[in-house]
Amino acid sequence: MSGTVRQPEKTKTGLGWIPWTTLVVSIVGLGVAAYLTYEHFTAGTTLACPNTGVVNCAKVTSSEYSKVFGIPVALLGLGFFAGMTVLSLPPMWRTSSPWPSRLRLAGVLVGVVFVCYLIWAELFQINAICLWCTVVHGLTLVLFALVLVREALTPPAS
Amino acid sequence: MARRVEQKAAARERIAAQLAAQQRADRRRRLLLAIAAVVVVIAVVGGLVIIRLVGGGKKTATSPSGSADASIVSALSSIPESTFSTVGVEGVQTTPTPITAPALTANGKPKVLYIGAEYCPYCAAERWPMAVALSRFGTFSNLGTTHSSASDVFPNTPTLSFHGSTFTSQYLAFTGVETTTNQQVNGQYEPLDTPTAEDQKTFDTYNAPPYMQSAGSIPFIDIGGKFVSSGATYSPELLAGKTQAQIADALKDPSNPITKSVIASANIYTAAICKITNNQPANVCSSDAVTAAAAKLGKS
Repeated sequence: MSGTVRQPEKTKTGLGWIPWTTLVVSIVGLGVAAYLTYEHFTAGTTLACPNTGVVNCAKVTSSEYSKVFGIPVALLGLGFFAGMTVLSLPPMWRTSSPWPSRLRLAGVLVGVVFVCYLIWAELFQINAICLWCTVVHGLTLVLFALVLVREALTPPAS
Repeated sequence: MARRVEQKAAARERIAAQLAAQQRADRRRRLLLAIAAVVVVIAVVGGLVIIRLVGGGKKTATSPSGSADASIVSALSSIPESTFSTVGVEGVQTTPTPITAPALTANGKPKVLYIGAEYCPYCAAERWPMAVALSRFGTFSNLGTTHSSASDVFPNTPTLSFHGSTFTSQYLAFTGVETTTNQQVNGQYEPLDTPTAEDQKTFDTYNAPPYMQSAGSIPFIDIGGKFVSSGATYSPELLAGKTQAQIADALKDPSNPITKSVIASANIYTAAICKITNNQPANVCSSDAVTAAAAKLGKS
């Protein structure tokens, strides 16, 4: 007999729609990032994207902004979505440890800052848009919103 | 007694209701903060797009266009033999294709024909080893500097331009044709050099199957009617962000990745050119690096 309130959406029976959506978005992002990574290391010979005009994936993926400290951006994206996929698995939402939640939040914050940087580079430095990169950017923004809203809906641990 | 129990229950309910209301308020506040953060990010992205649409953005290339500095021309023609031999031909992926065709000549000398364009990033990459190789047989004057198109792949790749240049050699003749500039007018690159009818015929004939995988690619290089090649032998990405002077300077260091690619290709071109100059000059054509490169010709 106590006055505590039951935590919603954290029971074994129902995670709620946000964790499942986060997992699906992470897996889709992982697929697109894997494709971009493959294209990066095969010189983009089969990149399914127009290469003329404003939409020009090859121009973006071959630009000096395609690497950060020598690491291909595509590879960083692959690592990001691989990490988010692991952190979005059901056990990671159900655990009582605060770390998966903290890592998810840190991950999407870093991700969204990086996305803003890459959008700036595409629009102002490279003068071209990469369709596949834009899909990755969109998925990262969706992940950011999902994780933030989920954090807001979950009562802080007492 | 019963009244006291009821009072306690009512107090508990009141406290629980207050707690629940406080938690609902906290949750609403956190949700508003989260939504505000998402809105801020969307606003930042939208702001970037709007600023770009109303005229922001990088419009000019970084590397200079004009006449090549004497220091660049000098650097290309004074690469020590030790650099050629240290680099060798290890990094070379493709070599010119041997063909059976009438000898390509000009003024009684075997001729090397290059047809490219200033906008083309692969031409930008390939001019460096071409210029290094040719500089072992003669002297360039009025060599230009330019960069590939800012709106193509490998944008603004720094390079040289053969437009308006002359090449003097006792061993061979060289014709460098840059068909367009790197600037677009009404969606088309501005015309620059026009190949002679004879050079155009060579281009049309030997820059097509069965000599090449596909027809019409640039850069196209015909070495005396004995070898032809098309495309770049290394990635233009290697030159990204450099100036022509920095590239020329990098060629002094045999361990520099730019040197490894440019000099390895230059060794291959030198070996092919030696085949049309009857292995003259001997000090170039009999060097270790060129001998090793000659063994690789036509094997990839």
